[in-house]
Amino acid sequence: MLRWIVWRDLMLAWRRRSDMLSTVFFFVIVVSLFPLGIGPETQLLRTIAPGVVWVAALLASMLSLGRLFANDYQDGTLEQLLLTPQPLFLVVLGKTLAHWIVAEVPLVLIAPLVGVQFDLTKETLWILFVSLLLGTPVLSLIGSVGAALTLGLRGGGVLISILVLPLYIPALIFGAGAVEASIMGSTPSAHLSLLGAFAIVSLLFSPWATAAALRISLE
Amino acid sequence: MYRFCFHPGPLRQPSGYLWSEIIADCQLPIADLNGRAADANELAMGSQKLAIKMNLYKYASPANFYPLAGKMIPWFAIPAALLFATGLFVGFFIAPSDFQQGDAYRIIFIHVPAAWMGMFLYILMAIYAGIGWAFNARLSSMMASSLAVTGAMFTALSLITGAFWGKPTWGTWWVWDARMTSTLILMFLYIGFISLQAAIDDPRRADRAGAVLALVGVINVPIIYFSVQWWNTLHQGATIRILQKPTIKGSMLAALLIMLAACWLYSVAVVLIRLRCIILEREQNASRFAEVGV
Amino acid sequence: MNWPDLSMGGYGFYVWGSYLVSLIAIVWEVVSLKQRKKALQQQSSNSVPASVLRGSVNETSS
Repeated sequence: MLRWIVWRDLMLAWRRRSDMLSTVFFFVIVVSLFPLGIGPETQLLRTIAPGVVWVAALLASMLSLGRLFANDYQDGTLEQLLLTPQPLFLVVLGKTLAHWIVAEVPLVLIAPLVGVQFDLTKETLWILFVSLLLGTPVLSLIGSVGAALTLGLRGGGVLISILVLPLYIPALIFGAGAVEASIMGSTPSAHLSLLGAFAIVSLLFSPWATAAALRISLE
Repeated sequence: MYRFCFHPGPLRQPSGYLWSEIIADCQLPIADLNGRAADANELAMGSQKLAIKMNLYKYASPANFYPLAGKMIPWFAIPAALLFATGLFVGFFIAPSDFQQGDAYRIIFIHVPAAWMGMFLYILMAIYAGIGWAFNARLSSMMASSLAVTGAMFTALSLITGAFWGKPTWGTWWVWDARMTSTLILMFLYIGFISLQAAIDDPRRADRAGAVLALVGVINVPIIYFSVQWWNTLHQGATIRILQKPTIKGSMLAALLIMLAACWLYSVAVVLIRLRCIILEREQNASRFAEVGV
Repeated sequence: MNWPDLSMGGYGFYVWGSYLVSLIAIVWEVVSLKQRKKALQQQSSNSVPASVLRGSVNETSS
């Protein structure tokens, strides 16, 4: 069931490739705006790089959250999925996994490239990659709660942001902190392990919250 | 043909004593539900006796709680006003000047109670929202919605008075230390809760969605607090600890506690007033069902 | 009891400023609630009284 849901969502996303690409482009553009706005001094750029890349990743994933359930909600598939005998937890997990693959993994892959704009060293770029790899599942999982709560509401995109951004903050702190530790030469392992812990905890709890929120939104 | 009976969701013990009235009122065909109806009637009898003994569950209905809240409000509002006056008197006239901060420390008498109320009301809001969701109790959810605005107000007040205190003592209006950052995030959580409920038209869906959000938030608040604390200690930046409460004594402590009590009583009064407004707004169209006790 | 230094040792702006903001917040909250209450009561007195509605329900159903 899980595999089926993931596969289905991946296929649907592939048919609408432009959505996937627009998320990536948004991420790249936002990250590129900062050096333009702040100036090219490399020391300053190196200092702001972790925060900027991470915030851009947050914003880009929030833009893509609206699509997580909206399409299925509009054509009635979501109601059918709620009625299946399989636990809703698995359905939600599958959709979130597919969303992560489609919306977040491209960000993770392209982040090192974008990080080059900030004059980061190879080790730092690697830590940036790893921190995003560990952090983006948290973004997808917690974001799915927000997406489920705001299903079908007007003003959806901004509302999801208001709901979900405060909940993203621990991931942001430790993700950006890991990269910053690497820039300063100390070990990022503490930050990364906490980030991994968040990922595991949200993996266990947020599909359950999302399932409850879906039931609430759909009755 | 049944007379239309409005009943808010699955029947549970608390509204059991109304069930017998509902059956009679609704003229349900008892014959069809023979076995179950007998049980339901016995249940109704038993719980009716219990409810008469306890006489409490009737207040779970918004229509019944409305007058009770109205009677309660002056009992909280007037003592609150008196305690505010007393607390400010003790704080300004009796408590001495601080050794280090001079007279600027007197902001504490509004800053700390506001901060505590902000946090306390959030937890209370989450509990009421959770109860309203789990037991399908509308009044509980209405209480959560009412708490949200007052809690947001106190949190905003604690941020503002904190900034006013920080400027003379730290030299800056804002500092990203653990406590201020997590209070700011608490403000965002309140705003998220209020916005979500405002965006949903159906009140029951709004209640339940708010409950999910409040509960996720309440789990996240300690996480945020600790992560921000670790963040600051890992950076070892210029973080200054706000003075720890138990180190102050005597008249200062007395004034602080009196102001805290004043803020708490004020919160109860204001939350009850708002709750009555919410009940009026939501139950107005249900006036025809008032006799069924919803 | 000692009469406090009204300028608060030079920090008067901050101390009185924060209390003023608190006062404004509290007054605003109470006033806006009273207005909301008044508007609701006006609204409910304008709408159809409950007893009339109950009467019509009795007739039309069953």
